Amino acid sequence: MTLLEIKNLKKIYTARFSNQQTEALAAVNFSVEEGEFVSIMGESGSGKTTLLNIISTLDDASSGEVYLDGNPLSKIKDKEISAFRRNTLGFVFQDFNLLDNFTIKDNILLPLVLSKTPIEEMESRLMPIVRNLGIEAHINKFPYEVSGGQKQRVAVARALITKPKIILADEPTGALDSKASQNLMEILRGINETGQTILMVTHSTRAASFSKRVLFIRDGSVYHEIYRGEGSADEFMDRISDSLKVLSSRGERDE
Amino acid sequence: MNNRFFSSLALRNIKSNKQLYIPFLLSSTAIIAMFFLMVSLMTNRFVQERSSSLPTLFMIGVVVIGIFSVIFILYTNSFLIKRRKKEIGLYGILGLEKKHVAKILFFESLFSSLLSIAAGLLTGLLFGRLVFMLLNFMLRMPNNIMYTTSLLSVGVTIALFTVIFGLTYLYNVSQFTFANPIKLLKGKQEGEKEPKGSLILFILSLIFLGWGYGISITIPDPLAAIEKFFLAVLLVIIGTYLLFISGSIFILKALKNNKRIYYRPGAFISISGMLYRMKQNAVGLANICILASMVIIAVSTTVTIYLGSEETLENRYPYEHNIKLFGDMDNVAEMNNRFFELQDEVLALTEEKGLEVTEMESYRYESFFGKLEDGSFVFEQSSADGTLPILMMAIPLEDFNEMAGENYSLEDDEALFYHSTKTYEKEELAIGNKSYRLTEIENEFSADMALTESIAIVVPDVSHLLDFREAYMEQFPESTHITIDAEIGWNTEGTEEQEEALIEQLRSEYSFSSENDGLYNSRDVQREEWYSVNGGFLFLGVFLGLLFTLGTLLITYFKQVSEGFDDRGKFQIMQKVGLDEEMIKESTRSQIVWMFLLPIVIATIHVSFAYPIVRKLLMIFGVTNDMTWLLTFIAVVIAFAAIYWMIYRVTSRVYYSIVK
Repeated sequence: MTLLEIKNLKKIYTARFSNQQTEALAAVNFSVEEGEFVSIMGESGSGKTTLLNIISTLDDASSGEVYLDGNPLSKIKDKEISAFRRNTLGFVFQDFNLLDNFTIKDNILLPLVLSKTPIEEMESRLMPIVRNLGIEAHINKFPYEVSGGQKQRVAVARALITKPKIILADEPTGALDSKASQNLMEILRGINETGQTILMVTHSTRAASFSKRVLFIRDGSVYHEIYRGEGSADEFMDRISDSLKVLSSRGERDE
Repeated sequence: MNNRFFSSLALRNIKSNKQLYIPFLLSSTAIIAMFFLMVSLMTNRFVQERSSSLPTLFMIGVVVIGIFSVIFILYTNSFLIKRRKKEIGLYGILGLEKKHVAKILFFESLFSSLLSIAAGLLTGLLFGRLVFMLLNFMLRMPNNIMYTTSLLSVGVTIALFTVIFGLTYLYNVSQFTFANPIKLLKGKQEGEKEPKGSLILFILSLIFLGWGYGISITIPDPLAAIEKFFLAVLLVIIGTYLLFISGSIFILKALKNNKRIYYRPGAFISISGMLYRMKQNAVGLANICILASMVIIAVSTTVTIYLGSEETLENRYPYEHNIKLFGDMDNVAEMNNRFFELQDEVLALTEEKGLEVTEMESYRYESFFGKLEDGSFVFEQSSADGTLPILMMAIPLEDFNEMAGENYSLEDDEALFYHSTKTYEKEELAIGNKSYRLTEIENEFSADMALTESIAIVVPDVSHLLDFREAYMEQFPESTHITIDAEIGWNTEGTEEQEEALIEQLRSEYSFSSENDGLYNSRDVQREEWYSVNGGFLFLGVFLGLLFTLGTLLITYFKQVSEGFDDRGKFQIMQKVGLDEEMIKESTRSQIVWMFLLPIVIATIHVSFAYPIVRKLLMIFGVTNDMTWLLTFIAVVIAFAAIYWMIYRVTSRVYYSIVK
């Protein structure tokens, strides 16, 4: 079943004091099935982040539409948008975005508190998640007291705790070393295997190799896509690298 | 690298950190202006001349504001520098030596202190002039009170704040000398730690507050009140800071541990935010609380003095017309004759003017200073050593019965006795060579008797007064001022012209310059003078109230703006995770209890406990009516709460617009 469908998505930025227009997204079309783990790759400035922001409802599209569960996002009223973001989407950011004034536990519970969830419910959801992510020993510490890898796992826990329809991850390994990255990606893969849909934007071929499908985006549109299929992660990584090479060499020829 | 390089770097730093520096400079300017105004007022002519206790009270005010300035500027500075740790850590990483960083910091402190001291002096001068002009106009003062200042005041202000800014510089340098750059880069993130031994701090705060309150409750008389007032104020201020630092953290942690309260959107955000900067939060609240107490006390006491003028007049001048007859030292019989003659004279004069006498009172009396010692009253010269002598007034029974409308009769060794402190418990009292069996009575005399420890004794007849005098003269042969004096007071009824004519004539016949030995005072004439003088009190009170309210406004503003910038990043993250604007509002609302109620409630408690000591101070200015003070006090508390509510609402809107 299709969970997320993106149709003819366009985004044009207009400079404030001139008529000069920048096309961030030309015409993006793709869809994500329920339970999929999709990576979006592309160079800086290719429009990845703009795309993710529109899906996250942090930004509006100039034209086109994003459907989640068949419902267009643009029809959501302003008043409901925060609740929608809280309940249906889970976010993992490159720079973690944890709050220093909350303990790890409170950081994870934040979206539930904002939704006014009963305390018993919050606590029953918390423990299995932190146990799975291996951060249960740290839940009473503050973010500045734990390592980067642990911080990102806290962010994943925060994204998971609302049982979102889809997790949106923006360069989740961007600020982590290779070991912590490996560990995080294994965790994300494990989460996906329990049926959680994940959409991730990344630069890293290694990170992308953990997903089931990779979309390549260039100059504001989807250029290419490959599936992992039955192959191993390493094999998939080679294919991703090849595709990237092809992409960039074609790019040079175009210019 | 020369100084010019460092100074221009410092200047650029201030400019690029203007979000932090503008509130900092504004609030230090305000506090400097406040201190400068207070010092100038202390040397103001009205304050110096009106009453000998006013300069003392203003001195207390100056010291209190001075201490307040130290705490306030250190607090705002520590906040400022904490936010800049990352930036300055970067200098270390880029290769600047510690002494170079110290130089940059020096120039930054130099510029910001120069700017705020200059601006503070200028603001103080302008504000003082303008508000004095405005108040002179609004209160229709008969004699304008001028705002004056002196080079000395300027010098004192500059000296104090140079020292304070010097301290902040040393603090800033120490922050960077003892930390490595990596730690500095992370400095901003870490939350404040709970102060060590907060339980001890809490107990200490209760001790200080209890001590301060205790002084106020147990104060025996007005002159002791002036002496101890400063100590009590100081103790309560220290106690307040400690209470807020230990108590607010204690309460916040208790709230955090209560899951039902804590895990709600508004409380969740605001409680965690306040715990994150718990000390800063506590000091800010304590500042507001202390200023609120000062506003309430300054305004309510001066309004009371103003409103109590009528009462004061009645205490001083119990009748519309009053004549004091000064006795003759050597010729007592003459004095006795004059006493009755004078009564006839003024009665005749009053009737001649066509007025009707409705009430009349007259009595002779003699007063001494001395002390109570083991069942006898020992005479002392009025100008004895440091301790205050007791004032004794002796009145003959005949005059007392007529004056009080009583019908006592006394044996030769009996006396009626009134003691203001009611601490004399023996049944007999010896004065000079005589001993009396005492019968206690209430104060039928002047209300002024409660001012210092006083005794009134009613003796069987005038001859006893002569005996006292003899005994006194034996002890102090060179003394010249023990005489039997008399007071005559009466009320009249008639037309206004008749009254004026009588007053005019009495004033010319019985004044210091006339040949007559009596001194005439009319309550109506005195009333005018009293109002002009007590208008000055109201003036000062309104001025101080305005000043402290402005201080409250600025501190609240500083707190909200600086916390707003601090919290902005957090709210942005939370919005990404799904925080809506309604919830931001809710979280600012749930701070109301803290920001608004807590300082007001504690200030009200402070002022309530200050009631006994302030009451004694008010007696010095002739106000003895508790009801006036109580009502004024309640009105001022409510009015200030309303003003602070508006301040709170406006500044929390500023906060909201920053974080949104």
